[in-house]
Amino acid sequence: MKRVIATISGITLLLGCPGVQAAETYTAHTNYMLRCQGCHLADGTGTPEKVPALKNEVGRFLQVKGGREYLIQVPGTSQSPLTDQEVAAVLNWILEKFSSAELPADFQPYTTDEVARFRYEPLANASEVRAGLLHKLKQKGP
Amino acid sequence: MKWLDKFSENSARSVARQSSRRGFIAKVGTMMLGGAAIPLLPVARASGNERPDAPAESGDPRSCDYWRYCAIDGFLCDCCGGTYNSCPPGTTVSPITWIGTCTNPVDGKDYIISYNDCCGKSSCGRCLCNRNEGDKPVYQPPLSNDINWCAGSSVDTPYNCSTAVVLGLAVSDS
Repeated sequence: MKRVIATISGITLLLGCPGVQAAETYTAHTNYMLRCQGCHLADGTGTPEKVPALKNEVGRFLQVKGGREYLIQVPGTSQSPLTDQEVAAVLNWILEKFSSAELPADFQPYTTDEVARFRYEPLANASEVRAGLLHKLKQKGP
Repeated sequence: MKWLDKFSENSARSVARQSSRRGFIAKVGTMMLGGAAIPLLPVARASGNERPDAPAESGDPRSCDYWRYCAIDGFLCDCCGGTYNSCPPGTTVSPITWIGTCTNPVDGKDYIISYNDCCGKSSCGRCLCNRNEGDKPVYQPPLSNDINWCAGSSVDTPYNCSTAVVLGLAVSDS
């Protein structure tokens, strides 16, 4: 009987512990508003020369080699307080919402594993990598 | 003027012949009841729910303990000639901003609040409010409310005061 009571108490303790409950997660749109919109703005247009535009732009990076990883490794993404799963969801939301026309025909949504694989390999010089990718895009043409 | 008398009399008699006082009262009653019923229709209720940007609120927007200010750090625009939603005359809103969530005590829901700074005049100096719920050190700039969001934005001018605009409900994934 004691064991039964102990087990029941154990279960009750576990259920009552906040750590056991699933942490609250927001939708990709809400996370965009909380973590990205402050600088990239609600419509993804950014600020010229200061904050890169997402609208009609961000999907282009997936057209060249290295661009897919870059969107995960860029400081705003990799250093955000979001989990890998949330990062993947927000990236997919941004691409579909702001730049679906620029996505390659064979576009596959980002996955949690993919984010985890590249996120922790920081870019030594993000602006240099960005300039290189933009150069590749220019050479590739529309 | 005789023709006017005649016209008025004819019109009045015509109305009297074609309508009854009871009929008129019945029509007015129908319109009043029908009008009152329109807000109860599902369409009207749905449209009400689609406006989380205008939640029911209580409290004083000039007081630092007002619910929208849970993570603010600055002078309240409400005391500076603006409101919690708008900048004072002569200043420009910074498009880039610090965004967080606050719980509305009226409905218990979390709302996304944008603390847009107003720029272009020197510091307002009234109603300094520094609550720091969820604030992070400046080495995490997007999560720090110590940043002067006027600097570095397209308006790039001195800081005057801070607004607290409700962007919408913080929507959970579940």
